[in-house]
Amino acid sequence: MRSSGFSTPHRRRTAVTFVSALTLLSLAACGTSSSGDQDPAPGGSADAATPLDPKTKLTLTIDCMPPAAKKAELKQWKEDVATFNKTYPNITIDGRSTPGQCLEPPRFTAMLKAKSQPDVFYAYFTDLDQVLDNDGAADISAYVNEKTVPALADIDPDVMKVLKKDDKLYALPTSNYRMGLLINRGLFEKAGLDPDTPPSTWEEVREAADKIAGLGKGIAGFGEYSAGNTGGWHYTATVYGEGGEIVGPDGKAAFNDATGKRVAQNLYDMRWKDDSMGKTQLLKWGDLQKQMATDKLGMFLAAPDDITYMVQQLGADYANFGMGPMPGQKATLFGGNSYMIKKGISSDKIKAAVAWLDLKTLSPGKGQFAWSRTKADGLPVGLPQPAFFTGAAKEQDDKERADHATMPVENFRAFTDNPVDGKAEPPKAQEVYKVLDTVMSTLLTNKDADIDKLLDTAEQQVNQVLANQ
Amino acid sequence: MTTRTLISPARLSRPRGRILYWTVLFLVVAVFTLVFIGPLYWMVTSGLKDTEEFARIPPTLVPDAVHPGNYGEAWQVMELSQLLFNTLYYAFGALAFQLVLDVAAAYSLSKLRPVLGKAILGAMLVTLMIPATVLVVPQYLTVLDLPVFERNLLNTPWVIWLPSVTNAFNIFLLKRFFDSIPRELLDAAAIDGASPMRTLRSVVLPISRPILGVVSIFAVVGVWKDFLWPMLALPDPGKQTLNVGIYSLASGVPENWLLAALAMASLPTLILFLIFQRNIMSGLTAGGLKG
Amino acid sequence: MAPPTSTPTLTRRPAGTDDGAPRVKEPRQGAFARAVRRNLTAHAFLIGAVLCFGFFSWYPMVREVVLAFQKTENGVVSWAGWSNFVYVFNDPDFALAWRNTALFTLLALLLGFVVPFVIALVLNEFRHARGYLRLLVYLPVMLPPVASVLLFKYFYDPGHGLFNRLLELFGLPAQQWLQSSDTAMLSLVIASTWMNMGGACLIYLAALQTIPGELYEAAELDGAGLLRKIWHVTIPQTRLILSLLFLMQIIATMQVFTEPFLLTGGAGPEGSTTTVVHLIYQYAFNFNNYGAAAALGLVLLVVLAGFSAAYVRLNRAEQE
Repeated sequence: MRSSGFSTPHRRRTAVTFVSALTLLSLAACGTSSSGDQDPAPGGSADAATPLDPKTKLTLTIDCMPPAAKKAELKQWKEDVATFNKTYPNITIDGRSTPGQCLEPPRFTAMLKAKSQPDVFYAYFTDLDQVLDNDGAADISAYVNEKTVPALADIDPDVMKVLKKDDKLYALPTSNYRMGLLINRGLFEKAGLDPDTPPSTWEEVREAADKIAGLGKGIAGFGEYSAGNTGGWHYTATVYGEGGEIVGPDGKAAFNDATGKRVAQNLYDMRWKDDSMGKTQLLKWGDLQKQMATDKLGMFLAAPDDITYMVQQLGADYANFGMGPMPGQKATLFGGNSYMIKKGISSDKIKAAVAWLDLKTLSPGKGQFAWSRTKADGLPVGLPQPAFFTGAAKEQDDKERADHATMPVENFRAFTDNPVDGKAEPPKAQEVYKVLDTVMSTLLTNKDADIDKLLDTAEQQVNQVLANQ
Repeated sequence: MTTRTLISPARLSRPRGRILYWTVLFLVVAVFTLVFIGPLYWMVTSGLKDTEEFARIPPTLVPDAVHPGNYGEAWQVMELSQLLFNTLYYAFGALAFQLVLDVAAAYSLSKLRPVLGKAILGAMLVTLMIPATVLVVPQYLTVLDLPVFERNLLNTPWVIWLPSVTNAFNIFLLKRFFDSIPRELLDAAAIDGASPMRTLRSVVLPISRPILGVVSIFAVVGVWKDFLWPMLALPDPGKQTLNVGIYSLASGVPENWLLAALAMASLPTLILFLIFQRNIMSGLTAGGLKG
Repeated sequence: MAPPTSTPTLTRRPAGTDDGAPRVKEPRQGAFARAVRRNLTAHAFLIGAVLCFGFFSWYPMVREVVLAFQKTENGVVSWAGWSNFVYVFNDPDFALAWRNTALFTLLALLLGFVVPFVIALVLNEFRHARGYLRLLVYLPVMLPPVASVLLFKYFYDPGHGLFNRLLELFGLPAQQWLQSSDTAMLSLVIASTWMNMGGACLIYLAALQTIPGELYEAAELDGAGLLRKIWHVTIPQTRLILSLLFLMQIIATMQVFTEPFLLTGGAGPEGSTTTVVHLIYQYAFNFNNYGAAAALGLVLLVVLAGFSAAYVRLNRAEQE
């Protein structure tokens, strides 16, 4: 096996696909009509660091524009374009919309292979390797600075890190999430639990799950995935929460330790000793959401925008849900989506793209962060997502979000008040998840599962996957 | 039909034989009805129940309250009309392409016999040996950027229609049928000065109706039932087929709606089948036996 | 209607007619030009199908082989030697996927091969309701696979699924069906048999009807019972069609994808329904590793070609 740095890109689970697309669409709000703080430096220097000359004439294609069915979001998009055109009257923003989710893995793969992506294209954090493998994104390091993106210093460095490779920046974030514990408040109350203090350790989760499952009628206390690689994904999240690692710094499997075993044992106990996880397993993204939306499930691990999905797609009510931090609280899996810029387009186009993204997705109080506008347009405000600002920008944004909230934000307080460090996915994530999926499905379907043996095998297989080029 | 089968007629006509025969027949009819109609009944009635009744344990055999509205909701929410239209569009487009191109090819191979015809037929038949799923990946990469034309066929109907023409089995069936058409018939037409095209149209096709029926059914049903290829080649939700569309929306709708949607999605082919069952059955067995 | 299916085709080469054999020697002038024109017409009829085959069958076949020996890094395609195959053979699921595929095929043969044959045998004995029963057996074939598969998913549900209700009714212990590595594969095969056996049933039925009744009479004169009649008359008489369907069944079941993909999410409990085609799908569309997908595809191809070759040889030996 010749190692030649073949990096296997992380394909995306449809899961996050759906969610992130929805989030982006539902949260995409538009800037107030205040404009003119672009402060473009005059003088037509071609230097990448200087902002774009306002007189530049060009057309910028960009995907993930809200489709016509999302009237309010589309209206906001158009208003944003109008605001943008006040500063740059000669730039045409040529938005393209897709009827369903913005990004579907096969379509995305196809787009990259055919090099048919628009100038500015939507991608998940985890897509970077795949995009670079296909030579699809431009290095925008030189174009992004405090002048072109004023809030740059306040963007979470953890987020910026995953958008870089070898210190070169390839994307700007639009949204991000940290996984936490999603709860069904109605079931919590019925089971005599306090929905305002969701469980924060696995012992508490287990206890609560047992009580909720005690309600009968096929209600499960806690739900977990075990198919389509999403089981491996959540096993990873759980291990992170307990302070463990999936792949250690030495590039070898690191979950076959006390932490990894504790996580496995706990799931096993909930499934078989307490019988609090329901009888049907082999679930994948979408199944748990459906259970919870119909009040058949008490808790599961999720990103905040799963709530949007349940409300918009499954007819649930915002007030019925709450969130707590990732149990264990040592770290939590994070992810999100971004815009990348096509490699090979002109330097002026890149500058225009950065200016547009700054307005639309990176400025507190404007674009997607214009919460008063979002509320006025009848869209939900108050989900703790996106959450990539820190410092002053965060304070400003949090305040506006709270002021214009359309849902009971106190339901998320346990989650927002206990921020847990974000941690990125392991290398070769999908291939590792495939192995860990088997761990999950074994734990949840085999009463005689031997955890030591299971993790020994998985460790060996993950090492094999990591060594395999 | 009174062909002699495994059990001798003499035995069946004895009183004991008769009782046994009718008991077995009755049992088989009952069990088969249960096994093959039962699931369909469950599907249709579950689609009529409300969410609460659907989840009830034990399930009700006949819905307490009938909610035909589920069908309407499912129809709208899952955009079944769009999916249905797409599927019909793809299926009948594929049928048209196959009828024109495959019939022409089979006719040429059978009656016009061009140079290299045997080699071409051989190369076509070889594709029968290659499992479709092995070719899915390179086929996918091919339609992404079709050589020579440099077009991306993804999300266009071509991606279903054109590959459907590469149905070597249908060409084989057609060719064998054309082979059995007496030469004299065609020669007579040729003497009358008919071009090959006219001969095909006015002599060959009219007597080929049975086989054309079989091939048509295979063509339509093939597109109707395919899953992996349309899932990959038509990722745009507005362009998906019934199979793929329902699959991708399955987790996003209540169960009773989903079942209503499944019932509606099953209907078109079932109706087609009930109407054409005689042709389908005889065509199927004829095709199978000859292979 | 008198379809010429039954017309014998002995008149294929009437003496003296120009039947298009390229080597026809005709001294008359213009013969060459005529042959050219005839060929042009013939090829004009062929061209559409040939182009389709070229683009969507033959070219992908070549590409499959090429892909298997290539890799893509940072947008640069380069030759990879055997490294894709090394990757595939080193995948911890490689052996598992083959074992599962073999198991699925074996079970599918036991069920999907034997059950339709028995059904056809029984149906063939009936003088009544045969049309109705035939219709029933073929009904599931006409359903969209997603509908059948999702129906079974509901039936198999260990909590409130219909199957466990039925078992309960008969006082039998509830099963885990798809939810346990012991029964997941069997459950898949049951669903798949229900969905697909209609075609095989009808073909057997047609084959059974071609058996001359005298053979049974002769066997009876020798004092043969029911089973011996099946063994000594029915099976030998339908052998050709049986062996053909046997092979087709192997080839079809080894490519199974839809059923596990929809019923168990592909991998299934403890990976017990990971099949070779599912692995190909994972490589290409989840790991974005087309080289590995193509390499595994080639391996599958070789195995299936082996079966095909074995079949052809078997068939030939039998005919001699």
